[in-house]
Amino acid sequence: MTAVMTVKQVRKVYGGKNEPQFEALHNINFDVEAGEFVGIMGASGSGKTTLLNILSTLDQPTAGEVVINGQNLAALKGDALADFRAREIGFIFQDFNLLENLTAYDNIALPLSLQNVAAKKIKPAVAKIAATLGIDQILTHYPTEISGGQKQRVAAARALVQEPSILMGDEPTGALDSKSAKDLLETMTQLNEQQHVSILLVTHDPFSASYCQRILFIKDGRIGTELKRGQQTKQEFYQQILQVLGRTEQGGD
Amino acid sequence: MLWKLALTGIKSRLRDYLVLLSGLAMASAIFYMFEALALNKSFVTSNSPVSMAFLVFQFGSVLLAIITFIYLLYANNFLLSMRQRDYGLFMVLGAKGRKLGQLIFIETLVIGSVATVLGLLIGLGLTELTGHLLLSRMHLTVHHFTPFYGPAMISTLIFFGVLFLLAAIVNQVQLRRTPVLTLLHRDTQPTHLQRQPRGQFFQSLLGLILLAIGYWSMIKIDVLKMSSIGIALVTIVVGTFLLFRALFTWCLQCLKRREHFAYHGLNNFVLAQLQFRLHDLNRMLTLVTLLFALALGALTVGMGFQSQLHNIADVSPYDVVLHDPTAAQQKKAAQLDIKRQWQVDYKVVKGTVYFNRAQFTQPLLAIHQSTTTSQKAYREIKPSELTLAKQQQWQQTLNDWLRPNDYGHPVRVVDAGAYQALQGPHYRVVAIQTKNFYQALPQIKQLVITDNQENHFPSSVGLVLSKYQSYELMNSLVSGLEFMGFFLGIAFLAMLASCLMFKILAGAANDRRRYQMLGKIGTRSKLLRRSVNREIGVLFALPAVLGVVHVLFGLQLFEVSGLLTHPYRDLLVPFSIFGILYLGYYGLTVKLYQHLVLPKFK
Repeated sequence: MTAVMTVKQVRKVYGGKNEPQFEALHNINFDVEAGEFVGIMGASGSGKTTLLNILSTLDQPTAGEVVINGQNLAALKGDALADFRAREIGFIFQDFNLLENLTAYDNIALPLSLQNVAAKKIKPAVAKIAATLGIDQILTHYPTEISGGQKQRVAAARALVQEPSILMGDEPTGALDSKSAKDLLETMTQLNEQQHVSILLVTHDPFSASYCQRILFIKDGRIGTELKRGQQTKQEFYQQILQVLGRTEQGGD
Repeated sequence: MLWKLALTGIKSRLRDYLVLLSGLAMASAIFYMFEALALNKSFVTSNSPVSMAFLVFQFGSVLLAIITFIYLLYANNFLLSMRQRDYGLFMVLGAKGRKLGQLIFIETLVIGSVATVLGLLIGLGLTELTGHLLLSRMHLTVHHFTPFYGPAMISTLIFFGVLFLLAAIVNQVQLRRTPVLTLLHRDTQPTHLQRQPRGQFFQSLLGLILLAIGYWSMIKIDVLKMSSIGIALVTIVVGTFLLFRALFTWCLQCLKRREHFAYHGLNNFVLAQLQFRLHDLNRMLTLVTLLFALALGALTVGMGFQSQLHNIADVSPYDVVLHDPTAAQQKKAAQLDIKRQWQVDYKVVKGTVYFNRAQFTQPLLAIHQSTTTSQKAYREIKPSELTLAKQQQWQQTLNDWLRPNDYGHPVRVVDAGAYQALQGPHYRVVAIQTKNFYQALPQIKQLVITDNQENHFPSSVGLVLSKYQSYELMNSLVSGLEFMGFFLGIAFLAMLASCLMFKILAGAANDRRRYQMLGKIGTRSKLLRRSVNREIGVLFALPAVLGVVHVLFGLQLFEVSGLLTHPYRDLLVPFSIFGILYLGYYGLTVKLYQHLVLPKFK
């Protein structure tokens, strides 16, 4: 299998020369294989968000490199960076981040029109992804007129409509009720298994994490334990995650 | 407890409140600026040759009141939209509607009164500053102009007091009538475009008809007299609003339906931005259009008076004529930026003036009214033309050279021998044409005054005017009007600026989130900047187009009523000045907005 994302020796230090320095990330190394569903877990303050910002090109590491789909992110600047973000990375956020002045359809179509895809090709692309995510009935609605779960599906559709190399989720179930959260996670699993979408999910919620195939635990800016689901059921994996979390909280590793 | 919460709410949105406060203060400042002129009857009547001027100003007051009213509605919306989320939250937490109603009532009144008082102070300062600047820069003579004018203050206080009281009541009622959930999410509710093509068609038709009536009534001011302005006032305000409402909505719909336009880059987003704020925008565009037309109109008319002044004041080709100049005068005259200079003698014998032909070595000048430009042209009269047969042409120009006491006498040009033989008092004349009369005005003034002192004859006072004196006279007649034009132009422009600024800043908080989001999903920053340019560009361009049309028709008012002889002749200068200011302001706004809302990655 080939790695869709490689993270090598990534460090992130906040604070300038004459300020107190704080190392948010310390020598992070890991790969995400194509078609993998990887979770990153950690408490708040552990460095998850910093890591995700770097992986999604919104921030730069102090040292080390990130390669996504063969492209070293450090080599990209300005327009090329924006284009890369648009084409290669699909992003879903905890608070949906939909444009509330556009309908669901227009929200999903936006990444395509940004890349100057012809209007003729936009319609089938949106229709296809909307059908996959089960939101074809609400496309003419504005974000305020649909439920949280639907909003997150629209956001997922927007993230996937460009067929990116990797889908990143920043606590995508954080603002959802448990039913909607479960639906969304199952949809993501389906996307992963049937359409082979590579997914990187950042979460602090063990239930969400139990849908992943592999989990990296991050604490104080370092990756500690790595868990693989292997042949375990979701329930067994969930218990295992809880155990690791319990140990971590007691100070062990 | 509720008070405390309300106050913390204000603290946390201090910037927004400052925007609101400065916007309102600006409105009251400009209202005061205008009233300081309009209500000052002795100023208006003593500075304007037209008796209607005072009435015109009264209509101006009404128009400004309408504009201010719409402006306040707009500002009040901004206040309410800032607060309703907080108040919705308080209600969810169990606060009583009545109590919250009181709170918003008091808040509106407090903000209103602070803004009004602040605005009065700013208005005083602006009036003083603008007045001072205009008077010193433009050699204007203006009577009875005082920056501090009591009646204007009182009327501003009363007007704004009443408006804010109304706003407070409206806010209270609105807050209590709106469901809690709507309060919580108002700023994210879309405005669905109404698809009523027939209604839109009739609205734009009605708008056009109203505008046509307004324009027609301005052209027919000679028949309709004062009611012309009243009719134009109402029809143009309403017509502009209807036209924007129907046409603007229609344009947005059309563009949205054209898929290869809408789904290209950020076009759809820009359209959505405009559509989302449609109701606010229609009002704002109307407001900006009216202010644009008023500011440009005032400036154009002000400049029209100036060029008219230059035209009528130009009674003689010679900028200075000195009679028997003293050494000091000659020294001063030599410092002028001289284009041509003549020095001749004349004798007066038995009521006839004699010049020596031998002294005319260069051509004389005579006024020649040109029909193509507003400036008068001069025609040369060669020395060889100084014959009896052509004396019609040179009598006047030589008369310009005589002492006031000799003015009007028949003039003869005789040969050197004959001149020597004449017995009578003789005088030396130095006539000067400068390169620029208006630039040399201060020096010319001194020369003319000393010359007048030496050649003063009580019997001829007021009969004969040198170029400078006639300029002074005309200046005192029209400069009051010119002053009003420029003063009001500046005032309206300031209000326009604050109005647009207001709209821009009001939306910044929401837009910031939207642009951040667009950045995150990979929009090129150039595209983001272009989207800002376009959105704001629309808000600047539409009012400009309609505003120019308003002005072009509005100038009829001055042409037909005879206030200006050629109002359409020198449009290029005021329009360019205004255009540059407006474009500059557009650039500034765009930069500011980009700074406020665009995300900063890498």
